[in-house]
Amino acid sequence: MFRFEDVTYGPLKNISFSISKKEKVMLFGPSGAGKSTLLYLFNRLHSPDNGTILLGGRDIVEQEVTDLRKRVGLVLQEPNLFPGTVLDNIKYGPALFGEWQDEHAEQLLRYVQLPSSYLDRDVEQLSGGEKQRVSLARTLANSPEVLLLDEPTSALDYRTAEEIEECLESLINEHGLTMIMVTHNLNQARRLGQRGLFLVNGELVEDGNIPEMLDKPDTKELARFIEE
Amino acid sequence: MEPEISNQSLLFLIVFVFIPLSLSYFYQLGLSKNILWSTIRGTIQLFAIGYLLTYLFDLRAAIGIPLMITIMITVATFHARLKGKELPHVFWYILFGLIVIEVGVLSMWLLFDMVEFTPSEVIPMSGMVIGNSMVAMGLALERMKNEFKENNGRLLAALSLGAKPKTASKLIVQKTLNAALIPNVDQLKTIGLVQLPGMMTGLILGGVEPAMAIKYQLVISLSIFSSVSLSAMFITLAMYRYFFNEQDQLLETEEAIRNQS
Repeated sequence: MFRFEDVTYGPLKNISFSISKKEKVMLFGPSGAGKSTLLYLFNRLHSPDNGTILLGGRDIVEQEVTDLRKRVGLVLQEPNLFPGTVLDNIKYGPALFGEWQDEHAEQLLRYVQLPSSYLDRDVEQLSGGEKQRVSLARTLANSPEVLLLDEPTSALDYRTAEEIEECLESLINEHGLTMIMVTHNLNQARRLGQRGLFLVNGELVEDGNIPEMLDKPDTKELARFIEE
Repeated sequence: MEPEISNQSLLFLIVFVFIPLSLSYFYQLGLSKNILWSTIRGTIQLFAIGYLLTYLFDLRAAIGIPLMITIMITVATFHARLKGKELPHVFWYILFGLIVIEVGVLSMWLLFDMVEFTPSEVIPMSGMVIGNSMVAMGLALERMKNEFKENNGRLLAALSLGAKPKTASKLIVQKTLNAALIPNVDQLKTIGLVQLPGMMTGLILGGVEPAMAIKYQLVISLSIFSSVSLSAMFITLAMYRYFFNEQDQLLETEEAIRNQS
């Protein structure tokens, strides 16, 4: 589905890998490794200085950027909701493409396990976990094929983070989405992911099956990271 | 009675400077140098402009007015650009905006016979319009930069949902314009009730009938209100797109913004 060929940008140096459809990939590594930078390359919020990124065999630069971003949805660490109601937020994306239908609203809230009575609520009145659920529903409203997640639970308490994780897991399985998630939490990587990309100082140090990587690291960098 | 303030009386104004100076000293605000410098600079500027105006008022209107307005617009442009100097072409946008606004307002005044084309009327009134527009543009630029910084996450969220820069920035443009216009709306609401506006006060002190002074004040207040609105709107709508590149990506560093052509 995605193919990175010798991509260099910011801290990232000559990154190459491929991701298949419906794969669940976790990006992890120490701070400053370039995990979020790498994530933002998937939907062209950044563009590489060198190298090529292909989606479905076509360079993403040749694809209409708004269509690409619709297909490759992003959930950020902070919910970053827009002022207004829950409904205003979840219809934002589809409304841009003239595709919003009111009957989708309740279904979207069901996906993120929120009652439909929340639709008219002002987002300022929501808790941190509820805001993140709305942010997830807002991204899902565009019916993306790929879900990019930038540490979506790191700003939440343990219990709420667990609930969001469960919600994510069922959504991704139910909709057959490809998931690429940045995390600093190795337990979360083990729970949610199949494949791991371990980055250090902008370099892809290990790429493999998560349980194997974490149980038997090939490199001393990953071994040290697991210990820490 | 002609209002007259002697030079000796003016000297006693130093008391008014002494008060903020003492406050700065006792509370260690570190403003003493700034207070002294701005007082001296302001005084020199005012005397200089007084002499310059006397000279300009004696010139033919067709020479004195354009000459002074050119000076005012140039100085205002240099000053307002400081608030957004990392934005490409900001100087030219401000210059263009101020010229269009001044020409527009002046044409209205002359067309509807509100003001006579004499240096003594046009120059001070134009100065108020240009000065207020300069402040509005500077405020709008500063506010817009802060809003872009504070709303970085929201902007990324909007772009990642498929919004174009124009749609993604809508909230920022609204907030910037609100912040730039609200002081003027408030000022207009309380005009004459909380304070007598400067121009009206000046005319009354100069011996003009209050009814006539009010008419002049209305002309200038509404002219300022509309030019401030237009300035803030123009500079915000002209500059927001420089926070994005051609690939609809948000530029997050001053360097990236500056390097855009």
